[in-house]
Amino acid sequence: MRPALRQERIVPAAALLLVVVAFVLTPLGTGLPLTTFDVYNALQGFAQIGLLALAIGLTMIAGEFDLSVVGTYAVGGMIAVQAGQSSAVLGLLVAVAVGAAVGAVQGALIAWLRVPSVPVTLAAYIALLGLAYAISGGLSVTFTNRAATLWVDHTIAGVFSPRSLVTLAAFVLVAVVLGGTRLGAELRAIGGDRRASRVAGVRVERKLVLLFTTSGTLAALGGALLSFSFASANPDPGLRPLLIAAVAALLGGASLAGGRGTAAGLLAGALSVALLAQIVAVAYLPDYSTQLFYAALLAVVVAIDSPGLRRGLARLRARTRPVGA
Amino acid sequence: MMSLLAAPPAAAARVRRARPGSLAVALTVLVVVLLPVAVTTERFLTLGNARAILASAALVGITAIGATLVMIAGSAVSMAASQTATVVAMVFLATLGQGLLGATLLALLTGVVLTAVQGLAVGYWEANPIVLTIAAGFAIGGGAIWFSGGTPVSAASDGFDVLNATPLGLPLAVYVLLVLAVLAEWILRRTTAGRQLYLVGENRAAARAAGLPVGRVTVVAWAFFGLCLAVTGVFLAAFNTSATTNLAGTLTLDAIAAVLVGGTAIAGGKGSALRTLGGAVLISVISDVLLLRGYSTGVQILVKGILVLAVVVLVHVRGRR
Repeated sequence: MRPALRQERIVPAAALLLVVVAFVLTPLGTGLPLTTFDVYNALQGFAQIGLLALAIGLTMIAGEFDLSVVGTYAVGGMIAVQAGQSSAVLGLLVAVAVGAAVGAVQGALIAWLRVPSVPVTLAAYIALLGLAYAISGGLSVTFTNRAATLWVDHTIAGVFSPRSLVTLAAFVLVAVVLGGTRLGAELRAIGGDRRASRVAGVRVERKLVLLFTTSGTLAALGGALLSFSFASANPDPGLRPLLIAAVAALLGGASLAGGRGTAAGLLAGALSVALLAQIVAVAYLPDYSTQLFYAALLAVVVAIDSPGLRRGLARLRARTRPVGA
Repeated sequence: MMSLLAAPPAAAARVRRARPGSLAVALTVLVVVLLPVAVTTERFLTLGNARAILASAALVGITAIGATLVMIAGSAVSMAASQTATVVAMVFLATLGQGLLGATLLALLTGVVLTAVQGLAVGYWEANPIVLTIAAGFAIGGGAIWFSGGTPVSAASDGFDVLNATPLGLPLAVYVLLVLAVLAEWILRRTTAGRQLYLVGENRAAARAAGLPVGRVTVVAWAFFGLCLAVTGVFLAAFNTSATTNLAGTLTLDAIAAVLVGGTAIAGGKGSALRTLGGAVLISVISDVLLLRGYSTGVQILVKGILVLAVVVLVHVRGRR
């Protein structure tokens, strides 16, 4: 229990600290001072993946893995654009409602039929991708509501935009709900030891349906805000957003084994990933270096999380250290 | 457990009877629904169409055969399949100047090594396969852009034409798919390593306690997967004659979909390479029928997703009894 707790705080804190220091030091490499605009851009990057990272991170805390979020992200963006041409709020609401429904259906299958979440959400991802293609004819759809596009990205206090503030607010809301109610502890219990949590009186099935409904809602909201910002919706964002969100959640201290992670940690993970991308942009590093950085950071997470490796290292240490030392 | 190891044929028969009896029911239902629709579809019952179905199943099928072994061993799924196949394709095209045989061998070696290394981490370190393969995907994908400079890699010579041959009207890849499927099935059913794969996937801790070489068995499964990925990459390279960084497209998830439609359980311990072959062909047949009936790409993908979902739920619900 203790190593897990340690890890869920240290990993996100270390990741964020490392990236913030690197970000602050970029002027040494580029010779150009950082501007508030760089911070604004980093937060825009955070808005792009934050809700997805929160969605997938929450399912990971409960020991599940929702691959469908990137499908919901695409469908949410597509529906928001098509339903929101005259009223952006209406488009947003329809998208979020569809996202919630998609999540609830998957949650029901996973909770009551007890099907593992990876194959269910993988199948749902494929189906949602097809749906996004079908309702768009396979082409990007332009969002003609220019007022909404300008509004979601206008600067507030120099560094924020409504989009990044909404994303931050979602993290704060989740943190308050998880921290202030039994929900947080129950979610971790479900992820840590599902049978024990059931015995202890946690209504596991309901919590899982709620969880997947939440992840669907967050993903659809993220997709809707993104397509408002881009003034167009893309039916196939590819797997990249999902993978980046997973990197953020893992750096945020969540683990695929479940039972670990906090909303604050997930926030730190998402901010780290966004800042990293911004560093690469500011320092004019080649695009692929972002991928190599993600790989390196994940390699550390993998190494920390590998029980076999840990046992092997412990054996090695025992062998090299003299008895009694 | 001893008897299972001592009498593989009986065990195999039991495995086949116990679970996939349920799958047989599902398949019958599906065929009863699908057959009239397919047969009444114009141009479905033609030789050319049968060829088209097999050809479109071939590349995803080859990768899926390898992915089956990894899933049976309990390592769930790999998120790095597309990137690995792409890198293999690049290696193949760039080294074609050394002759077809040399380039092919080097390409296969690349795929096997890249993937077996991941198998080492999963087998010996007990690294989480999904996290590990996401990391590997970023590393391999990033590395590919680094080395290729982000520009398409084109063939160093045109010696690859033989790979695009169509003996008896079928692409070479179809024959390779059939051979690999039979080979994988033989490994699974008839070799010690294959039987051990099921035990490791069923219960890793118990397999370890029973003294099975869990690490080695896992590496064998991943190495075979790497071989299949490499074969896919070589055919992709020969077919496209040049390789960009997104050459393999949606290979990763398409392969997993085929494995799942074949009724292999994601949790490991159950599954068969021949059923994966069936899954790949089934997906291909359904897409073909929808295409011939004039449905859009979106509808084809949507139906594929719903099919995967239905099979996953069915396999799981019946498998628990």
